[in-house]
Amino acid sequence: MNIRRLVTLETVGAAMVTVLVLVAIFAPMLAPHDPTIVVAPTFGDPGAPTLAFPMGTDELGRDVLSRIIFGARISLTVGVAAMAVTMTIGIAIGLCSGFFGGAVDFILMRFTDLMLSLPPLLLAMALVAVLGPSLRTIFIVIGLVSWTSIARVVRAETLAMSRRDFVVGAEALGAPSLRLIARHIIPNVLPIIVVMAALRTSDTLLLDAALSFLGLGVPPPTPSWGRMIEEATIYFRTAPWLATFPGLAIFYAVLSFNLLGYGFLRRRSQ
Amino acid sequence: MRRRIMPVVIALAIAFAFGCGGGPPPLNLPPHAMVIRLADVDDVPTLDPAAGYDTVSWTFEQAIFDTLVRYGDGNIELEPDIATAWESSPDATSFTFHLRTDARFSDGRSVTSEDFRYGIERVLNPATRSRGMEYYRGIVGAADFAAHRNPHVSGIDTPDNSTIVFHLSAPDPIFAHKLAMPFASAIPRDVAEKWGDDFSRHVVGSGAFMLRDWIGGQRLVLVRNPYYFAKPLPHLDAIVESVGVNQELQWLRFDAGQIDAMVDIPPAEFPYVMKTPALRKLTLAKTTVTTRYLGMNCQMWPFTDVRVRRALSYAIDRHKLIAILNGRAIAARGVMPPNLPGYDPDLEGYDYDPAKARALLEQAHLAGGFEFEIWMRADQTILMLAQSIQQDLAPLGIRARLKPVAWGPFLEAIRQPHTVQSYMQGWEADFPDPENFLGALLSRAQWGSNNDSFYSDPEVEQLLADAQPVADLKKRYALYDQAEKIVVADAPWVILYYPVTYIIRQPWVHDYVMNPMRPTRFEHVWLSPRPE
Amino acid sequence: MLAYLVRRIVFGAAVLVGTSVITFTVAFVVPADPAVAMAGAKADPQTLASIRSEMGLDQPLYVQYARYFDRAIHGDLGRSYIRRESVTRLIADRFPATAVLAGAAMALSLMLGIAMGALAAAYRGRAADNILLVISLALVSIPVFWLGTMLLIAVAATIRSFPLGGYSGATSLILPTLTLALGSAGYYSRVLHTSLCDAFDQDYVRTARGKGLSRMRVMLKHAMANALLPLVTLAGLDLAGLLSGVVLTETVFNWPGIGRLAAEAIFNLDIPVIMGTVLFSALLIVVVNLLVDLLYAWLDPRIRLAETG
Repeated sequence: MNIRRLVTLETVGAAMVTVLVLVAIFAPMLAPHDPTIVVAPTFGDPGAPTLAFPMGTDELGRDVLSRIIFGARISLTVGVAAMAVTMTIGIAIGLCSGFFGGAVDFILMRFTDLMLSLPPLLLAMALVAVLGPSLRTIFIVIGLVSWTSIARVVRAETLAMSRRDFVVGAEALGAPSLRLIARHIIPNVLPIIVVMAALRTSDTLLLDAALSFLGLGVPPPTPSWGRMIEEATIYFRTAPWLATFPGLAIFYAVLSFNLLGYGFLRRRSQ
Repeated sequence: MRRRIMPVVIALAIAFAFGCGGGPPPLNLPPHAMVIRLADVDDVPTLDPAAGYDTVSWTFEQAIFDTLVRYGDGNIELEPDIATAWESSPDATSFTFHLRTDARFSDGRSVTSEDFRYGIERVLNPATRSRGMEYYRGIVGAADFAAHRNPHVSGIDTPDNSTIVFHLSAPDPIFAHKLAMPFASAIPRDVAEKWGDDFSRHVVGSGAFMLRDWIGGQRLVLVRNPYYFAKPLPHLDAIVESVGVNQELQWLRFDAGQIDAMVDIPPAEFPYVMKTPALRKLTLAKTTVTTRYLGMNCQMWPFTDVRVRRALSYAIDRHKLIAILNGRAIAARGVMPPNLPGYDPDLEGYDYDPAKARALLEQAHLAGGFEFEIWMRADQTILMLAQSIQQDLAPLGIRARLKPVAWGPFLEAIRQPHTVQSYMQGWEADFPDPENFLGALLSRAQWGSNNDSFYSDPEVEQLLADAQPVADLKKRYALYDQAEKIVVADAPWVILYYPVTYIIRQPWVHDYVMNPMRPTRFEHVWLSPRPE
Repeated sequence: MLAYLVRRIVFGAAVLVGTSVITFTVAFVVPADPAVAMAGAKADPQTLASIRSEMGLDQPLYVQYARYFDRAIHGDLGRSYIRRESVTRLIADRFPATAVLAGAAMALSLMLGIAMGALAAAYRGRAADNILLVISLALVSIPVFWLGTMLLIAVAATIRSFPLGGYSGATSLILPTLTLALGSAGYYSRVLHTSLCDAFDQDYVRTARGKGLSRMRVMLKHAMANALLPLVTLAGLDLAGLLSGVVLTETVFNWPGIGRLAAEAIFNLDIPVIMGTVLFSALLIVVVNLLVDLLYAWLDPRIRLAETG
């Protein structure tokens, strides 16, 4: 087994993602304490990292390590769910646009342009502020503001596919559109979709963290990494570890999906 | 290749040019001027007395404008400001004020009774969208004026330049206090009408200070008003407030002697300040006339049952909340906070007693617990406090779901009778009278307005109605006290705490006095020479 | 060329109108009462009612939109509910701070990104390439607000009297610029790397290499010019985004820019300001898009010919 061939971007990424998923699934067993109850003697003030609490405790006396472990659940759930929403919308629009062309393409692409002119973070903030933050609202909103790049990419691939001889021929023979899409277009578009799914997840994770940081994430006491950073900012001088660890967690998660997606991308273009 | 490099280089050059030239323009104050330097996180919302309704706006409004009466530096007794004397009719429907003749605006013009009339009419005019409208609606003719049926408020008389009379449509013994609010400042009509909605940026008042410049998002500078009537005040030559400075940075600047006073010590530094004798000496504390509570909707399950409400009152540990606030609060017992006249120090509230809570829940057949929502403004501190409440209720099987929302939707939601089960709220006194708490927050008439727990009790209603027109303070407070006791027993709120504000000032700042109901005034403040 | 320009301008205007309709609808269909935002917490229903009728808030939606549209065309974007200031003025006050940060961040991220991308391409396949790749991916994965906070922590702990937030001259620009630029630099370096590698596979480059020129030299002289084009488009769009304010960086550093204004407005449901900032952002994107397309056409004669042909 050649180590160098094994350690590629996508394998490292896949390993990191797997660890993340396992942590999320086995959180109750891995976390030393309940993330929502008071465990530290220093209620009202953050506590420094000690042997008992390796990542310290926060203002409400909760163990930071346990909160980070449980935070993986929320982050993964939102990240993956939002990615699913985004992919669904983006793929649908991209496929229709690329395949049907003409007026459909025009309208859908103009609509995409319109969406592109709205700043995504602000739009997400506005929607969450109005609809009220909850798990479902958040991943739907994130999904709604992130689909434009998928739509474009899928459209480009679909266009390329649609022009291929065998598709044109099948169409001429009267094959129904849906069948054509399902049998010919989708399988060929699939690779790029997989890549984009991974890359999108890292983006949705970042967007979710940003929303939590701005106070629009999943409401407490569910631990959310972004919100943990927000709660830690006033202590940045006196208790800097409070902000450091959640950030590292986000970085880890985002990096893992980026490695995965980018690895596949490079593999595909070789 | 050169073609590509150039744009980048140019962009860089521009950026650096901007960056170096950026920041606020120089202050240009005389070298030995006595200048107090302050800082704040956010920009001053407004300087327009009709619009401002927050601590920061009022801080500067009361420096720039004068009212008929005002509170003493450190107390809530009414003192003369522009009015030298005043009297009211025995039935408290008519108030007459006699003005001094030597008060002048910063542009030199004399202050007359007409300026006060204009100020109040401006507040009552819906076009101004003033937040103080409701306080002056009791004046005769206010409604007609607001509906544009009358160019003036008929109930305000200005028989001569130095007399003004207010006629009220119902007795209001505390009306004079409403004239101590910045809403009732003297406003020069010509300046206000010239600038319209932009008056805030071009304010002219008769107070001790005047506006010199205001760079949005950067700084606000006030200088002394040469025409101020109470010479030789103010001692200060200028007040400079830098904005956009976050709390930690403010603290560092204070530590380095670059700021003279901090109105809000950051929670991260507070324990250190209190433990260091040298710093502790420099702090001042005041109990604000504020009560913070968890309101429960008496019309919605499970809070229709008084036993459940009382159970929650026993189940929540107020001392944990105070710990989160670094000790900057007093555990609450009654509806009214300590500095409010009429406060009952002997009132028995609820202690932290989970056993009693459990017993009450059993009586209410909810021993297994239940789930409910707590709505609140999306504020970090409030969220922290709410999480502590969650922690307290969890062992009783009660699951509290937190719902932080924006201010606007929050207010709207809590005013609906069947939307919000419970909410985190606070109320700060507008004027020093129990009516401002019990009447404004717990009477039937305020359903859909400020009585968001939709509480109503016939005995309380009767007591409130009886007490409101009573001018004899002892009798008045006794009646309100009775009402308060009933309310506390009925527990429409879990009354949490009364916040305490701490400020810290440099050793060279003198006569910086805290007032329970108002921000600190600057007229008497003076600075000894700063150490170099 | 002229026809192209006109078409783009018309289209841009259409996008602006479309954006305003969408934002307006969302803002006013939203269940939030503007009168409450204006009148404040303690206002009683009577006050609210009179404010509502005074502001014309009880008019049907399309009437309100028409009035808004009419005023907007003349540069009046209304007044903030919370601050009473004119929205145009609020945005104008904050634009210089935003522009300075945007310019500095764009400059830095381009410099870093181009350098990293070019280096990685020059040493393609070797260790340096892989290291730079990982660095770029890492940079792209760092949450902006965390990076900013970490920088604040590091500086606060080591350098005294360094401005920690707020806009007060050149030094205060350093941290926010660094925060913004690092992530983009990572991204740009990847984009450049890809286009450079594509360019390397082109015939004319192969020829140059065949002539014995070093990779670096080849790259700089021949490949770079073409490879920079896609980057220009990307950077242009990003610049538009930067100019409309960067909420996260501005929040961490208390930077008095448009991003914070917009975020604050969203929290307070201060609708005129929300609409104003969104429209402003859309305007920037449309204008910058147009400029970038023109720049592209100017730089790459092939496109120009294709359009007019």
